[in-house]
Amino acid sequence: MEIHDERIGDTCVVTAKGRLDSGASAAFAEKVGGLIASPSPKLLIDFAGVDFVTSAGLRAVLVLVKKVKAAGGSFALCSVQEPVREVLDITGLTAMFSIHSARAEAIAALAG
Amino acid sequence: MSALAARFEATTLATPAAISELTDRVMAFLDAQGVDARAAHHTALVLDEILTNLGTHGACASGAAIVAVVVEPERVTGQIVDDGPPFDSRQAAVPALDLAPADRPIGGLGLYLVRKLSTTLEYARRNDQNCTTFSISRNNTLSAETRIDGNS
Repeated sequence: MEIHDERIGDTCVVTAKGRLDSGASAAFAEKVGGLIASPSPKLLIDFAGVDFVTSAGLRAVLVLVKKVKAAGGSFALCSVQEPVREVLDITGLTAMFSIHSARAEAIAALAG
Repeated sequence: MSALAARFEATTLATPAAISELTDRVMAFLDAQGVDARAAHHTALVLDEILTNLGTHGACASGAAIVAVVVEPERVTGQIVDDGPPFDSRQAAVPALDLAPADRPIGGLGLYLVRKLSTTLEYARRNDQNCTTFSISRNNTLSAETRIDGNS
């Protein structure tokens, strides 16, 4: 899995590409977790390039959300492909995450 | 299964790297057969979850499982045969889905996804092997309530 990060305003934007499965999830959680060490972090993960997510991948995202929430920060996902969105729906994570159709919309929501 | 249906078959270890390689090949096969992205994703996901569970809890990371995928006009059917201890994925506990992120347990989602994404899910124990068979509808609607068939 390819992971690219950038800072837009006070939001850390992570662009992921590829498969988020049991082979990639630990490295993903470690890499992204290292980007949110500041107090009250704002984290946006752009899933536009993620075409396969397993429960191991969902657990990695959930770990990151817990870390962000514990630090008093906020979290959002954007540009989730439809099959992945269905998996989020089924597991009840759609209701727990702030999910946006586009990156700009997500950044605005985190800034607000 | 139709005699004309396209078929993929492989053996795999239940390790993360081997499972990734297998599901990558399955998705490429399904794409080549014209299967829609949703059905291809969910077929690969169900295979991944069953094999990951086998490697993690079945202590079978070093034993090969046989995986078959068949493309039919209305569905994709998958089958996993393994030498692990008896395990019926239909009997897995349902995770607590309504808790807040801070309270939510990390585990339990994999086999729940197997049950929810599969249109049919069958299990049999034969010749000291687990045989798990599932199907994924090729239409693009959300899955209907999973039908769990008994099997001997």
